[in-house]
Amino acid sequence: MLANYGYIGLLLVVAIFFAVTTLLLPLFLRFIHIVPHKPNPIKSSTYECGMETIGKAWVQFNFRYYFYALMFIALDVLVVFLYPWAVELRKLGLFGFIGMLVFTFIIVVGYIYAWRKKVLEWK
Amino acid sequence: MNLELFLPELTLAAFAIIVILLDLVIQRKGWLVVVSLAGVVVAAGFTIIMWGGSSQAIFNNMLAVDNFALFFKLLFLAIAALVILASVDYVSKFTRFQGEYHALVLLSALGMMLMAATAELISIYIALELTSISLYVLVGFLKDPKSTEASLKYLLLGAVASAVLLFGMALVFGFTGKTQLGEIAQAIQALSLSGVLASPGLILGIVLMIAGFGFKIAAVPFHMWVPDVYEGAPTPITAYLSVASKAAGFAIILRVFYSAFGLPQWLSLDWGMLFAVLAAIGMTLGNVVAIPQTNIKRMLGYSSIAQAGYLMVGLATVGFSPAADIVGRSSLLFFLASYALTNLGAFTAIIAISNKLDSDLIQDYSGMGKRAPLLALALTLCLISLIGLPPAAGFMAKFYIFSGAVQHGLLWLVVIAVINSVISAYYYLRVVKVMWLGEPASEEKVPSSGALRLALSLSCLGVLLLGIIPGYIMKLAEVAAKMFVF
Amino acid sequence: MAVGLEHYLILSAVLFSIGLYGALAKRNAIIILMCIELMLNAVNIAMVAFSRYIVPLLLTGQVFVIFIMVVAAAEAAVGLAIIISIYRSRETIDATKIDLMKW
Repeated sequence: MLANYGYIGLLLVVAIFFAVTTLLLPLFLRFIHIVPHKPNPIKSSTYECGMETIGKAWVQFNFRYYFYALMFIALDVLVVFLYPWAVELRKLGLFGFIGMLVFTFIIVVGYIYAWRKKVLEWK
Repeated sequence: MNLELFLPELTLAAFAIIVILLDLVIQRKGWLVVVSLAGVVVAAGFTIIMWGGSSQAIFNNMLAVDNFALFFKLLFLAIAALVILASVDYVSKFTRFQGEYHALVLLSALGMMLMAATAELISIYIALELTSISLYVLVGFLKDPKSTEASLKYLLLGAVASAVLLFGMALVFGFTGKTQLGEIAQAIQALSLSGVLASPGLILGIVLMIAGFGFKIAAVPFHMWVPDVYEGAPTPITAYLSVASKAAGFAIILRVFYSAFGLPQWLSLDWGMLFAVLAAIGMTLGNVVAIPQTNIKRMLGYSSIAQAGYLMVGLATVGFSPAADIVGRSSLLFFLASYALTNLGAFTAIIAISNKLDSDLIQDYSGMGKRAPLLALALTLCLISLIGLPPAAGFMAKFYIFSGAVQHGLLWLVVIAVINSVISAYYYLRVVKVMWLGEPASEEKVPSSGALRLALSLSCLGVLLLGIIPGYIMKLAEVAAKMFVF
Repeated sequence: MAVGLEHYLILSAVLFSIGLYGALAKRNAIIILMCIELMLNAVNIAMVAFSRYIVPLLLTGQVFVIFIMVVAAAEAAVGLAIIISIYRSRETIDATKIDLMKW
């Protein structure tokens, strides 16, 4: 039992070693003067997919994001009920199928509601 | 599968969905009230048809369809109908979200109906949360900061309470291996425990469940949310919370503790004692803190904490009496019915008055007896019923519940309860005095709509009927007290 | 040393207590909500452990956990919506400053 944890411990040691080495390698290379150290403003600016950065990182997000997030939280977890039903599809038969139809219908009502209330639109 | 036994719940769910969808397409929102009321009436019709039949269980013993559940279902449907009627004026002032309001009222009523019927831990949790989440939203329905604050407090404390309840359920499940209440009872008896210390984990689970349910019924150490939420919520929702949510809490406590933890005898004596102590603390704290209040909704909030204390006297009686004895349960059901009518009446009168005054301060009720004699008379009747004086329903309710407690050796608790009733008379009668003897601030009459008057007269009629001829309802309560045994 | 039921229960109790402490002591409403989520997940651990060790042939505990997760998501969604509406009206979610009503 404990031997199994030994492998996890080994993985942990390797992971820490890898992370620390990759962080220290550039410093080490600079220290032995293989890499030149000539900073300029363009070099030390924030790199964002090759684009020039716009504004600060701490901007306030649009409220709309939260509405999407709320919709997502409320509705995505419901998928978890589909899995047990899908696994036992044959055994549950027609009653289970109709039950699932009712279940999906109620979720669709939620979507229709959100759609009509213009939650899905970006204004 | 006997789906027809599930018809009341199915109807209500269908109507809630119809209300949501209808709200998206129609312009005249007045129809929504009609549709929601129709849903309540149809569901009540199905419930009445089933009344009196033999007890059954559906969905693998998950839901019990017995007279106990049917009694509560009818009670919740009646409360929901009165609340919808009482909020017609209130809701028509909203520019948006009228459909959501009615749909949420229906959905929370559905949750409460399920709470009265469920006999299995998973479905108990789901029914409880269906009720609570709808109510969290309803409490925060107004745009003003007080309402959202009340909603946030209710949500955070309610979520903590349900987490505690779940931990209790997990322990009970772990020590018995079952989630169905009847099977839990069998498993506990099979353990043949000798006393409290024989299985501390199980006892801890039961205590945590009491804490979780105690939040719903506003029992004292878990009552912090009550005054704030009552003050901040829209008044019809305050009425709804104070009666329906509390009755649902008591329904579920009765079922869980009676059918799962009723035996062995020492166990039921132990939780009976726990409820007796909570009752004594609850009554005293609620009544004493209600005295200095200036806002009438807040005062009724503390009053409802005290009333929960009286109701817990009934729970203690159930714990102390042998399982076959129905005195404790039937008197509790009678008290809940009379308390529901009384509090709904009081809050409906308050809605009518605050529609005009735009204030809930007691001092602003000065001279209401001259400005709106009928409203003031109705409010007076309800306050008298809350004190427990004849001829109102509260008197008979307290009489039944206290005499049951005395029969089972809880005299000390009844003495405390009677002293508390005397204390409570002070702050209830202060409102009555301000209304009838105070000078009116203006001569303007207080108008009220037809729906509001209908709701108010129905509840006042109920209060009087239960006070003058209580025998009939008491018989119903005795029939309802015979619970399904698994 | 084999990992047994008691280890899971101790883990669950510790997590539950941390969550309860946070829910009662923290000031930021969102952190309180996260602590409540922690409490529920502690319950989930206990449920699954009980189910695995006490009734290994049944899935009662696992099914219970699925329901708890879904209901918790609904509760979190409603909670966040309420917090947004509070933030809109008073520009703070500090629970100690949300105190219009006391006593």
